[in-house]
Amino acid sequence: MTWQRETFKKIKQVPREEHVFPGTSLCAGCGGLEALRLASKGLGDHVVYVNAAGCFTMLAAYPFTPFKGSWLYTTMGSAPAGAQGIRDALDVLIAKGRLPKEENLKIVVLGGDGSTYDMALSSTSGAIHRRLDFYYFCYDNEAYGNTGMQLSSATPYGARTATSPCSLQHQAGTLQEKKDIFEIWRAHKPPYIATVAPRYPLDLEEKFARASKFEGPKLFLALSACPTGWLYDPGETPEVAKLAVETGLWPLKEAINGEVTHTYIPKLKPVEDYLKLQGRFRHLFEPTLQKEVIAHIQDRVHRYWERVNQVERKG
Amino acid sequence: MDGEMMTGNLAAAWGARLADVDYVPAFPITPQTEIIEALAKWCENGQMAARVVTMDSEHSMMTAAGAAGATGARVFSATSSQGLLHAFELLYSVSGWRVPLVLVNVSRALAAPITLEPDHNDVLAARDSGFLQIHAETCQEVLDSILMAYRIAEDERVMLPVIVNLDGFYLSFTREPVSIPDAGQVREFLPPFRPAHLGFRASAPHALGTAVLGGSIYSYFRHQIHLASMNALEAHEEAALEFNRLFGRRYGVVEGYRLEDAEDVLVMTNAFASKGKAAVDAAREEGRRAGLLRLRMIRPWPADAIRRALVGRRAVAVLDQNLSPGQGGILFQEIGACLYHEPLRPRALCSFIGGLGGKNISEGEFRATFEQTAEAGIRGKGIGPVLLYTEAEHSEMTQLQVLAAGPRPNGS
Amino acid sequence: MLAIRFHGRGGQGAKTASRIVGTAAFLEGFVAQDSPIYGAERRGAPVAAFTRIAREPIRERGIIAHPTVVVVADTSLISDPAARVLDGVDEKTVLFMNSSLSAEQLATQISLSGRVTALDLTEVALQRFGKRGAISALLGAVAGRLVGLRQESIHEAISRELADLGLAPSVIEQNQVAARHCYDAVPVVALETGSRRVPGSTRLRIPNYEPPSRGTARISAAANSLLRETGGWRTFRPVLVPDKCNGCWLCFVYCPDGVISMTKDDRPVIDYDHCKGCQICVQECPTRALVAEREKEGEAAWTAK
Repeated sequence: MTWQRETFKKIKQVPREEHVFPGTSLCAGCGGLEALRLASKGLGDHVVYVNAAGCFTMLAAYPFTPFKGSWLYTTMGSAPAGAQGIRDALDVLIAKGRLPKEENLKIVVLGGDGSTYDMALSSTSGAIHRRLDFYYFCYDNEAYGNTGMQLSSATPYGARTATSPCSLQHQAGTLQEKKDIFEIWRAHKPPYIATVAPRYPLDLEEKFARASKFEGPKLFLALSACPTGWLYDPGETPEVAKLAVETGLWPLKEAINGEVTHTYIPKLKPVEDYLKLQGRFRHLFEPTLQKEVIAHIQDRVHRYWERVNQVERKG
Repeated sequence: MDGEMMTGNLAAAWGARLADVDYVPAFPITPQTEIIEALAKWCENGQMAARVVTMDSEHSMMTAAGAAGATGARVFSATSSQGLLHAFELLYSVSGWRVPLVLVNVSRALAAPITLEPDHNDVLAARDSGFLQIHAETCQEVLDSILMAYRIAEDERVMLPVIVNLDGFYLSFTREPVSIPDAGQVREFLPPFRPAHLGFRASAPHALGTAVLGGSIYSYFRHQIHLASMNALEAHEEAALEFNRLFGRRYGVVEGYRLEDAEDVLVMTNAFASKGKAAVDAAREEGRRAGLLRLRMIRPWPADAIRRALVGRRAVAVLDQNLSPGQGGILFQEIGACLYHEPLRPRALCSFIGGLGGKNISEGEFRATFEQTAEAGIRGKGIGPVLLYTEAEHSEMTQLQVLAAGPRPNGS
Repeated sequence: MLAIRFHGRGGQGAKTASRIVGTAAFLEGFVAQDSPIYGAERRGAPVAAFTRIAREPIRERGIIAHPTVVVVADTSLISDPAARVLDGVDEKTVLFMNSSLSAEQLATQISLSGRVTALDLTEVALQRFGKRGAISALLGAVAGRLVGLRQESIHEAISRELADLGLAPSVIEQNQVAARHCYDAVPVVALETGSRRVPGSTRLRIPNYEPPSRGTARISAAANSLLRETGGWRTFRPVLVPDKCNGCWLCFVYCPDGVISMTKDDRPVIDYDHCKGCQICVQECPTRALVAEREKEGEAAWTAK
C-alpha cells in the first residue's frame, strides 16, 4: 500500500502567497526557515506562533516581525503551555461572546530540537495529554544551534558538536543515538504526526492539508539542514536535505491516530553520500576513515527500513 | 458579625470567583490546593464561568496563565513555595508582556530541608520580577486584596501582574469570619477587562514579547515596568477609596497599629502581624510606648508611607520572616534604605529574624524583641540580625540531633 | 591606547580577526584586550569585534566608541544603519575597507577625506582558497599591519587562533600565506593617537511612562521585516538568464527567505533588497537559468533595488 498525495500533485500547487516575509536575521540558506515558509503556506495568516527559545527567536526582533500573523515568545521549556493558554483563552472569549468566531486563530508552537527533545518535553507531554488543539512545528537541526551547536538529544550518533567533540577515546563524536521524538509523541496517541523535509515540498504541503482535518495535537518534525552548524555551503541545503531522506536517515512518514505510514520510500543511497557533505561528520572520513562508525549508522538505517517493510508491506 | 467562617484558601477562591475570572490554569501544591479544588468545583457546577485546566507543572501553569492573559482573558492562578520557584522564569515574562493577572501565593518555606509551613523567602524571591505584591493578614483581606489586585493590575497606568500573598497554615487552613462582597457591587468596583495592548485575534495581528537587541531598548522597556509599578501606588489609593465606599473596609499600602505616640515600632507583614499586634498590646500594658507597622504592599515599595510612619521614632525593629543567608532580613535592608535620608530617622534600626519555616513566635520572644529594641533605641545603635529562637527550642533540637546521629561506633 | 574596531558579517571572521590582533599584541608584550559583540548575529548579519592594545592596564571594556582603526570586512555594512560602522569615526580615524575600489573612490563615497585605505581581501580569498568564507586571518593581518604589529607575531597568532577553531594545519598554513600577502600589500596610513578631547557630562533623558501598547516589546506592524534589508549579506547574487528559464518554480519554492516570486508567465523575480545570496536557487535550477555573480561595489548590480 503506497501513500498517495491527494491534493498536492504538482509543484505549481504550492501557494504563491507568502506568510513569512523576508528581512529576518536567520542564516542564509536556513533549512528551518525553508521548512517554516512552506509550512506557513498551509497554515495561512490566521495564526499565532508561540515560540520557544531557539534560532527562530530572532524571527521577531523588535521592531520587526516577518509575520502577518501573531507571535508570542514564551520560554524554551514551555511553549506548548503558552499554546494552551492562548487556545483556552480564545475558546473562552468566543464562548462568552467577547470575541467573534471569525477572529479565531490556529496555534502553532515553534520549537527547535533543543526545546522539543529536551527542555519542553514535560510541557509538550502535558499539552498532548490534554488533547490541546494545536500544531507543533519542530525545526530539527540536531543540536543547540542558537548557542553555537552543542549536543542535544536530537544529535545523531557520529556527529561532532561543540560539547561532543571527537577525541582518541571518542572518535565518533556523539555516542548517543538520536532520541526518537516521533515515537514519544506517538505513544501519547495524538491524531496526527508527521516528519517533513523542505526538499519534498509537496509531501510537506500535503501533510499540512491532511493535518488540518484533525482537531488535537499535530506534530510536524521538520528536518532543518543547517549550513552554519552542519558546516556545508548554504547553497547545498536542499541537497543535504534530499540526501538525508534518500539515504533513509530521515524517513518521511506520518501517523494518523497512531498508525504509521511512510510517505516516501527511498532507494537507500549509502549514508556516506550524506555524511561526507557535512563538516560535522568530517572526522569520520579524515584523517582516517572510521569504517565502524559509518557501518553502525548504515546498519541502523537498514534495520529501520527492514522493519518498515515488514510492518507496512503486510498491510 | 456578618459573613461566613472560611479558610484563607477559600477566601482566595472567593476572590477569584467574584472577580469573574475567565481562566484558571492550575497545579496542586500544599498548602494551596484547596483554592484550585474550590474553583474546579465551582466551574464544574456552573457557579463560575471560568475554565480550569490542570497543567503539568507550575512552569507550564504560569506560561498558560500569561499567554491566556495576553490573549485578553482575565486570569487567576495560585501556587506556593517550590511551585513559585518552578514558575519563576515566567514571572519576568508575564510582567514583561504586561499581563495583569493575579497569582495567589500561599507562603511556604523553601527546601532544603523541605517543609510545609510558611515563611516569606518564596514570595520575596519574586520581588524583583515586576509583579506587584500585596501581603494579607486576615482571610478577609485575602479576598478583598484579590478584588483590589485586579482593579490595580488592569489599570492602564499599571498593567502589571499581582501576587497576593497569604501565609500557609496560619491563613490558608485557618477559618475565620469572612464577609463575601455582593457580586453586583464587585462588578461596579471592577470594570470588565478590555486591555488595549493585549488580545491575539485574526484582525489585529501583533507580536508580543519579542527579542530586543541592545541594552538601550531593553533598558527602556524594563524601566517602563518600574514606572508602571510606581503608578500602582496611586492606583491602589484610588481602588482603596472606592473599595471603602462600596464595602466599608479601608486598606492602605501600610497599616499602622497604635502608632500615634509610639516610641518603638515593630515592622511586620502577613498573618504573624496579628501576633505582633497582640504583643504591642502586651507591651503597652507594661508601659512601653510600642506600635506596629504592617507592610501590606511590598511592590511597589511604599517608601513615603513607610517614612511617614517611622520617622521620629526612637527605635524600629524589622521582624523578617525570611532570611537572606549572608545578609540577614530582606525587608530590613529596604526599610533601612528608605529611612537613610531622613534627618529624623530612628536612632536605632534593629533586625530580627523570626518564624522561619512557620516556627511560632511566642509572647516571650516578642517581649524580648521589644526589650532589645528599646535598649538599642536608648543606646542609639541598632542590632541584628537576631534570630528568634528559644532556649527550649535549642535543647529540643539538640535531642533530635542525638537521634539523627544514631549510636556511636564502639559504644563510645 | 590603540583601539581597533572590526565590522563584518557573521561568518566572515571579524571576531577571530580581533583575537588574532589581540594575541599578536600580547605576544609582543603589549597589554591587550579583545571581545566580540554577541547579539543576533547569524551568518551574514552585521557583527562587530574589538581589540585594544596598550602599554598600561586597559581601563575600558565593551564596545569601542572612539576607534583608532576601523576594519570593515564588507563595505555594504557602511549603509546598514544597524552596523554603525562610522560611529565615533573622526578625522583621525583610519578606515580600512575590504573592497575592490580604491581608497580615493571609497573616501568620496563616504565623504571622508584622507584616512581611508583598502585592499580586496575577498578576491584574495577567492583566488587562494577557491571559495568564499572566513577571511579572519586576512583581516587580522591587515589590522596588525596598520597598528604596527610585526608580521611574525601575526603569523603566530593566526596559527594559535585558527588551531583553536579546529582548523586543519594545511588550512592554517594556507591562511598564513594569504595573510602575509595582505600584510605586505595593504597601503599603510600613519596613525594619530593624540589624546581625545574629554566629553562633558551627558544630559540624561529619563523616559516617561507610556501605555503598554508602546511601553512593551510589542510589534503591531505586520510583516514589517521587509523594511530591514538583508541584500548586503550576499557575496554572490543569483542572476536570471531569461532564455534558459523553463518556468519550473523550483527557485521560488526552495528559497528559504521567500525573496523569489513568480510572474504570471512563470518567470522568477528576485528581491535583491532581501536575497541573502545563499545560492539555493542557483543550485536547484534544473536549466541553469540562474547563475551566481560576484557582488562588486559600485557596479550596477550593487545598488540595484
